[in-house]
Amino acid sequence: MLYPAVLLIQASLSQYSVTGLYQGGVGARNYERLVVQEALPTVVGNTVVWVAVVVGVTLVISLALAQFLNLEFPGRRVVRWALIVPWAASLVMTSKLFVWIYDYYFGVLNHALTRLGVLSAPVDWLGDDQTVMGAMIAVGVFVSLPFTTYVLLAGLQTIPGEVYEAARVDGASAWRTYRSVTLPLLRPALLVATVLNIIYVFNSFPIVWTLNDRNPGFGHDTTITYMYKIAFKSSLRDVGLAAALGVVNVVAILLAVLVYLRAVRWREQEA
Amino acid sequence: MRTTRRAFTGLIVSLVALATLGACERGGGGIKVVIADYSKDHTRPFWQGLAETYTKQTGVKVDLQVIDWNSIDQQVSTMLQNNQPPDVLNLNSFSSYAKDGLLYTADEVLSPKTKDDFLEPFARGGEYRGKLYGFPILSSARAFFYNRALLGKAGLAGPPGTWDDFLRAAQKVQGLGQGTIGYALPLGPEEAQAEWSIWMWNNGGEWKSGDTWTISSDKNAQTLQFLADLANKHKVTQVNPGKTNRTDGAFQLFKDNKVGMVMGFSPLAAQLDAEGKVDYGVAPMPTNTGTSVTLAVEDYLMAFKKKGNQESVKKFLDLYYQPENITRWIAAEGFLPVTKSGLQQMSTNAKLRPYLEALPSAKLAPTTDPAWDKVKLDVQQNIGLAVQPGGNPRQVLDQLQKNALAAAGGR
Repeated sequence: MLYPAVLLIQASLSQYSVTGLYQGGVGARNYERLVVQEALPTVVGNTVVWVAVVVGVTLVISLALAQFLNLEFPGRRVVRWALIVPWAASLVMTSKLFVWIYDYYFGVLNHALTRLGVLSAPVDWLGDDQTVMGAMIAVGVFVSLPFTTYVLLAGLQTIPGEVYEAARVDGASAWRTYRSVTLPLLRPALLVATVLNIIYVFNSFPIVWTLNDRNPGFGHDTTITYMYKIAFKSSLRDVGLAAALGVVNVVAILLAVLVYLRAVRWREQEA
Repeated sequence: MRTTRRAFTGLIVSLVALATLGACERGGGGIKVVIADYSKDHTRPFWQGLAETYTKQTGVKVDLQVIDWNSIDQQVSTMLQNNQPPDVLNLNSFSSYAKDGLLYTADEVLSPKTKDDFLEPFARGGEYRGKLYGFPILSSARAFFYNRALLGKAGLAGPPGTWDDFLRAAQKVQGLGQGTIGYALPLGPEEAQAEWSIWMWNNGGEWKSGDTWTISSDKNAQTLQFLADLANKHKVTQVNPGKTNRTDGAFQLFKDNKVGMVMGFSPLAAQLDAEGKVDYGVAPMPTNTGTSVTLAVEDYLMAFKKKGNQESVKKFLDLYYQPENITRWIAAEGFLPVTKSGLQQMSTNAKLRPYLEALPSAKLAPTTDPAWDKVKLDVQQNIGLAVQPGGNPRQVLDQLQKNALAAAGGR
């Protein structure tokens, strides 16, 4: 585990030619160059939006889904299995499928929405700057739901029936019970789901890469796809600079998780 | 798709797990041959067979790696970072490797007979500072595809020869309505440099003049403005041409009878023939100068200098370049020859005639310049911005020019 990390840091302090040939150490120069890259503010902004919205929306929907799947109803087993499908399918396959769903000319989404009269003209979901991020976020949520729902479902099932009975005896409304009993007891599961999702979504390469591959420039990249473009797909063609961004990525995600955990515990103490 | 995931795995490998690769690939005595995957059906079987023949003849083992195009750049880059270069490499660029002093010249690893068999323009396209380092492995040429049925419906007798004719034809086809598109213009990141090269040359523009880059010349600004006007003023292209790729965008539309005209190449013809849905013709590129120019693309084989591998590499290359081997493979993949003997053998194939006829007037991208490897990526990533609504062709070209000069001047 440690050795690759050391190598990544080493690479970030070195200069390589276009072909990948090592050309010597350059100290912190790659980091200095990284900070002044014109695209960096946009990319960082994209990453924050991408992670925050995907994780946030996923959690809200998953809470509802988990609640629903925790009910006894006929066919529950089938629904539970069905939910696993987007999780089991490869991310790249799913992304490619959505590329076709979103397609301006052939996509079923435009077809359906214009037929239903929701849209008067088709939309280029993946080409229009206004809609690309939203389209990617929708896919991000779609593939994050299964895992999150199952973590929360497992959490729900650890809540003993007696506490609900007690709430009922006290005359609490359903909403009140949910807020004062279910959510607090779900806290550990929520915490795990949030932290793992932040890490997954932050590091998610295939969705952004596949859905954004037609767009020129760096306008819709996250730091992960930007790193790849720096190394191999832009005129920079610079492995050292990409490694520097790689190091920054690892540090950023660690910090984000720490800050989140800190904030959660802080609220706990206040309560 | 699958390939992108492999690309991602490649990234992880190259940036994080340098260690694992480095230690275990040091095989004894054999040669490592890295080939790009041109097709699932033909590439691996051919090279596997060639490697077996080679091993039988020489006793030298071959470590054959067939890598898809999406990840070959970073996988090769990883090999070099690990100090584990291949012995023989197939790629679409060579000059950066020559510049880094990693390659044998033709005189060191090719027999004179092989070297003399190369077609002149392709041999020149593999030279760096006057010496042949990038040995042509195969070539392809673009041609102008038109939908016969749609052009006929629009009242056009044949494909357009000039830019004026082209614009009129595009307008008429677009005017058919029902979502019909005049011309499919793919300036998205996949292959924008190819589409751009052809338009640029057919207006008399150039990538370079002598040793200087001339990307932002007035001619080129005029050309890019013409393309932007196709999209935004005349509205005869598909939606967002700056954000349309070739394979899943422009070609797809043409295959679906939605488009009047597109720039294609022989693999597209093969797909159209297999599906049999489109009544199409192939013609020379429309020109604004009186002389039609097309783009030829040449891929390379190169030999890496390593201690004690010169003889083994030489024998391997000579085996590939035997006329029956190279021509059998190129024909199977549907590409065009790079040798005189191959040209002779393949000229009897009627399907290849339009491309073979275009070859003499074809031009190559400036692949002999090491800066090209960066310029190409820059054009792919940015030229599409110029044809977006409100895009500024002049400004985009100026930026590309600036970056090209920096790449040429830099290390």
